[in-house]
Amino acid sequence: MKKSIALLLLLAFTLPGCEKDDICDPSTATTPRLIIDFYSKSNPTELKNVTNLALVAEGHEDEPIGFNGVSRITVPLQSTADITQYKFILNYGAENTAITNVDNLEFKYTRTDIFVSRACGFKTLFIFGANPYTLTDAEPADGTWIQSVTLLQPLILNEDDAHLKITF
Amino acid sequence: MMHTSRLLFSLALVLLFSGLQAQDKKTAPKPATQDSVIVKTERYGFRVGVDLFKLSRSFYEKDYKGLELVGDYRFSKNYFLAGELGNENKTVNDERLNFTTKGTYFRVGFDYNLYENWLDMENKVYVGMRYGVSTFSQTLNSYLVYNRNDYFGETATILSGKKFNGLSAQWVEVVAGVNAKVFNNFYVGFSLRASKLMSNKKPENFDNLYIPGFHRTYDGDFGVGFNYTVSYFFPIYKTKKEIVVKKKK
Repeated sequence: MKKSIALLLLLAFTLPGCEKDDICDPSTATTPRLIIDFYSKSNPTELKNVTNLALVAEGHEDEPIGFNGVSRITVPLQSTADITQYKFILNYGAENTAITNVDNLEFKYTRTDIFVSRACGFKTLFIFGANPYTLTDAEPADGTWIQSVTLLQPLILNEDDAHLKITF
Repeated sequence: MMHTSRLLFSLALVLLFSGLQAQDKKTAPKPATQDSVIVKTERYGFRVGVDLFKLSRSFYEKDYKGLELVGDYRFSKNYFLAGELGNENKTVNDERLNFTTKGTYFRVGFDYNLYENWLDMENKVYVGMRYGVSTFSQTLNSYLVYNRNDYFGETATILSGKKFNGLSAQWVEVVAGVNAKVFNNFYVGFSLRASKLMSNKKPENFDNLYIPGFHRTYDGDFGVGFNYTVSYFFPIYKTKKEIVVKKKK
């Protein structure tokens, strides 16, 4: 009897702790990206595909995010700052450099961190306030290729619908 | 994990039973040559003890402090009123979260003794049920933001320190265990429990990932736990019953 108790004691203390068995499910909605739809400037209700559009964030000059032949793009926002600055480069890497056009587009927002789950941690949601974007022409001074920017949804909560509309 | 616990528990039961049976043989009277009368004494009273596992964990685990007092009251031959009262202070350091939970809990219910004690033995091999309540607070120490599109790189750990007060949870449990007399009125016991969360008052923008006394599995509604106790029995009254041992023919 005393032996079995000693054995029990031994067993009880060798029981392993609970192991982590959960990873953040890829289908879980986490930090959303900004969704932009491109429309034709001659017909602002008609979606228009972009050609070799590259996005380069400030400080990430050698990591362009490329889009080609799509009218909807997803743009990551910085979840550590209230501002994200991008260069929107149309016809990026074209042989005829004359058709390449660079515009600066800057986004300003406020952030809020929302609990998701134990495995995923938190996600950051973005809220566009007054003057959420600033469009300027970049060197060389060739005019902006973006004609207009319209805010469709100031709350960046998910990636279901477009938040911003750009005509070009 | 569940498999291991189940295996260990079965093993523990088998071991204890064999231990108790061995003792049976020693204390059983020799075959009488004529009818003899044996007086069987049943003692009733309450037993209080402490969970050694939580106590020892508090010493060797720097992120944990806990104490659990256990008690039962024998009110009929096989039924015991049983409960536990405890306090826990635990810091969980997860990959994406670091938080501290502090709180108090109690569980109350009954145990049913399945073991037929012979003569003056007072062992308990039991199954039981509990209803558990816990009130606690949580402090979110730090967290990470999950960004599936890692263009700007993994964000640094964000220090929060936000405290959530007035949290609570309630649950039901099934318990199985053993409690064996080692000497005089001293007992050692071992129990395993599986619990199911019934209500959970969560904080806004966080979750009760650790609930004192519940032993939550990752972030589900189920909990599994065990304790290893040493306790002392305070007898209140006794009943005596005469058993006639028939002479062998």
